Amino acid sequence: MVDAARHPNIDIRTFTEVERVDGFVGNFNILLREKSKYVIADRCNGCGECATACPIEVPNYFEMNLAPRKAAYVPMSQSVPLIYNIDMDACIHCYKCVDACGSLNAIDFSMEDKLVWEEIGAVVVATGFNHFDPSVMEEYGYGRFPNVITSMEMERLNNSAGPTHGNLIRPSDSTNPKQIAFINCVGSRDKRYNPGCSNFCCMYSIKNAVLLKQMYPDADITVYYMDIRTPSKGYEEFYDRARKMGIKFIQGRPGLITEDPETHNLFVSSEDIALGNVIEREYDMVMLNQAAVPQPDVDTMSSVLNVAQSPGGWFMEYHPKLRPMDSPTDGIFFAGACQGVKDIPASVAQGSAAASRAGRILHSDEWEIEPTVAYVWTERCVSADGKKCGLCFRSCPYGAIELEIGRPAHVITAKCHGCGGCVAECPHNAITQLHYTDAQILAQLHALLAEKPEEKILAFRCHWCSYGGADLAGTSHFEYSSNERGLRVMCSARMDPDFIFEAFRLGAGAVLYSGCHPQDCHYITGQLVGAARAERLEHLFGKLGMTAGRFRVEWISAAEGDKYARTLNEMQALLNSLSKEDLKNEILRLSPTMEQRAHKMRSLPEIVQAMEFSSNFELAMVGKVGEHESA
Amino acid sequence: MNPHNELPNRFSDKVRAMPGGENLDACYACGTCVSKCMIQQKVEAEFNPRRLLKMVMLDKQTEAFQDPTTWMCSRCDLCYPACPQQIHISELIHSVKQLAVEAGYSSSLDVVNVDEGLCSGCGICVMACPYEAPSLFEKGVNGSTDRFAMVDGTRCMGCGICVAACPAGAIARDGVSNQEITSQIKTISSNSAPSLAIFVCDWCLRAESDLSILESYPDPVNVIHIPCSGRIDPQMALLALGRGYDGVLVCGCKPGECHYVRGTMIGSCKMEMLGRMNGQMDITGQPVRFVQIGTQERGRIREEIDAMLNSMPLRKES
Repeated sequence: MVDAARHPNIDIRTFTEVERVDGFVGNFNILLREKSKYVIADRCNGCGECATACPIEVPNYFEMNLAPRKAAYVPMSQSVPLIYNIDMDACIHCYKCVDACGSLNAIDFSMEDKLVWEEIGAVVVATGFNHFDPSVMEEYGYGRFPNVITSMEMERLNNSAGPTHGNLIRPSDSTNPKQIAFINCVGSRDKRYNPGCSNFCCMYSIKNAVLLKQMYPDADITVYYMDIRTPSKGYEEFYDRARKMGIKFIQGRPGLITEDPETHNLFVSSEDIALGNVIEREYDMVMLNQAAVPQPDVDTMSSVLNVAQSPGGWFMEYHPKLRPMDSPTDGIFFAGACQGVKDIPASVAQGSAAASRAGRILHSDEWEIEPTVAYVWTERCVSADGKKCGLCFRSCPYGAIELEIGRPAHVITAKCHGCGGCVAECPHNAITQLHYTDAQILAQLHALLAEKPEEKILAFRCHWCSYGGADLAGTSHFEYSSNERGLRVMCSARMDPDFIFEAFRLGAGAVLYSGCHPQDCHYITGQLVGAARAERLEHLFGKLGMTAGRFRVEWISAAEGDKYARTLNEMQALLNSLSKEDLKNEILRLSPTMEQRAHKMRSLPEIVQAMEFSSNFELAMVGKVGEHESA
Repeated sequence: MNPHNELPNRFSDKVRAMPGGENLDACYACGTCVSKCMIQQKVEAEFNPRRLLKMVMLDKQTEAFQDPTTWMCSRCDLCYPACPQQIHISELIHSVKQLAVEAGYSSSLDVVNVDEGLCSGCGICVMACPYEAPSLFEKGVNGSTDRFAMVDGTRCMGCGICVAACPAGAIARDGVSNQEITSQIKTISSNSAPSLAIFVCDWCLRAESDLSILESYPDPVNVIHIPCSGRIDPQMALLALGRGYDGVLVCGCKPGECHYVRGTMIGSCKMEMLGRMNGQMDITGQPVRFVQIGTQERGRIREEIDAMLNSMPLRKES
């Protein structure tokens, strides 16, 4: 940390919040709020005279509130930069610190927060994690029984720089504990609080147990666990070493801790899974290995940085396996536990990866983006005529569309990731997406429904999830209807209602509208745009009297090949259950409505070429051009 | 090949389709339910909900139907709020029990019996029972139809709440009949030390150290064990006062932790009413109290007894 502070190219801003992030990769403008420390940084030499003079003591957060600190303080003795700070919530304005500071004159009570705009090339988010508060779990009595402590409190009690100088004592009577229990998975792997595994706590409790055993060889140490997870190199060996040191490991999650009111000793009841019996053991001290949870202000950070959250509140990465350090927004990277709980080696690896990713941007004059970006057809955009529309603006998950009434919408190409949501949302067909133009998709659609369309199931699949699901169904040899005709777009947000209308106009038997599950969407909120539209369409088709199930909406992840196959088979079963006559009549009845609804798209100048292309394609493929038109 | 083609009508599938069974497969065998439950520690060493869940998952139907867990769970629901996988364990066990009853198995618990010679068919037991075990039926007696109560042996958990509620004394089971309990209430002759009758439910004192606290009090403090604090009959308390006790203390579980679902609520209401009636009749020298002791309140029983003994006025020499 000191090295970083001395580096000429590293500028450390502590006590500073990011309020706004504008711009795009390589050209971010960020607004920083440098909070007032009431100490002038250039003048403070970190002597600590102000803290000595300060008469106010408040709980020290860094010491897990086990020790006091003054209202004039540094968060911890190794703080970098070593600049004191006045806690205005605690300060009584006696100005003794000002006198103590003397001729340095570093304390300035009139200081105010400073707002600073900075130009930034890339952002690395490393906001870490927070601890689960175990006091909500009444069964463990944390907060009521003085000798039940959390692992972080243990960390301070055990630390030679901590409040007890490394002497581990019981909070109730300041004696050294002899019987010590560790309880794992407190608030993690627990659907009541955090369903996920907190990843490092198994190793963490073994580390603490080994450390205590080394310091107090006579101590009787027990670790209660559900499963011990030691998946990395050398971890299992460490666990083995702990067992050989005489640390007891009991498989069984304690359901209850009770306290002797006189001695404040604790009784831990758990089932020993190996014995199948409930055992109650007495301890001097119990340590709860609490879950890792996202920082409390993760929602604010999400909206400031415009990055989504995975289930559980961790920041969502671009790809969980291939790009875990990248955010979906170019130029914003993640390091460490803010993206998901991880231990120190994994955090270091991800941090280094994020730094090199960021370095690549800083050293580039040009930046490659996805080629499937959106493009506005300015003469069609009604915003240019002063009309209020803004559908494209609202559908964009990346804030890539600039909109000003009186001027056509404008796509910031560097920010666009190519989901196609704006393209499908635009009611005037004024936006197109390169490589997924309406004409290109229509050409595919016409080709797929060229022959016996009433027997076909047209499946719109999103590139990232349901296309993968269909792929998995194939590679896993899950049989599904051979009448399925798949059509790939980047996101369910791109599935334009016009395509659906056109498919039904051409007489498609059924249409599947499939995409990612909402939490999996590759384009942050693209699925939500798609889902809202799908709901509208379902409602509309219901009103038009279409047989329920001919238009079907399913969210299928890349891992759900079985679901894809099942969905298709169910749709085929529906088509089989309808009589051919009824289906044909229904298609004919709805055809004029569908034609009218798809009218705007059909009036696009490019559509003529699309039709020609598709006719030629049909000719080449089946040699029966135009048959469906007459049918 | 469709991975969703599963054999229909397996035992586990039947349970999965019943209340509580929906999260069956979530169980990762942490043992929290077993450590919360008091049946294994107090009554039956073979009682183990975790093992029963595993039996169901592995389709071991006969073992599950014969397992004491199926029959002894009283649905107190201490386990459900503690389960990290949110499995409604007691509901699931109840579903297994229903299947077992359908298959012709029967409960091995001591259940209550109705003496039809005494039963007046008033239906109070039907209202009092937390398990809907008693019901009324009509049958012809000497040419006229008459109503009687009958108890479903597969539902009754033997708490004795109905025994206390029955105004005719027509319901009883071995061990908790009125005679057996009242015979434990000794007559106090000496009046040097304050005497106290403590009716204590079998479940509220979790720790063995708490039970030894009870035994540590010398004779004018007498402990009478009842299966549930809902089994307390105000007449039993009055009888104790009549036999010379200076006060009566009834210990039950904390609401929400009662082994018999709502017995502690019923017991506390009865004792509250009795206290008020005594007050109206100016019987203030002999206090009647009801305490509810939670699973985590180790040692509280000593505080309560001491407070009671200290608060009691010394009896006048007569």
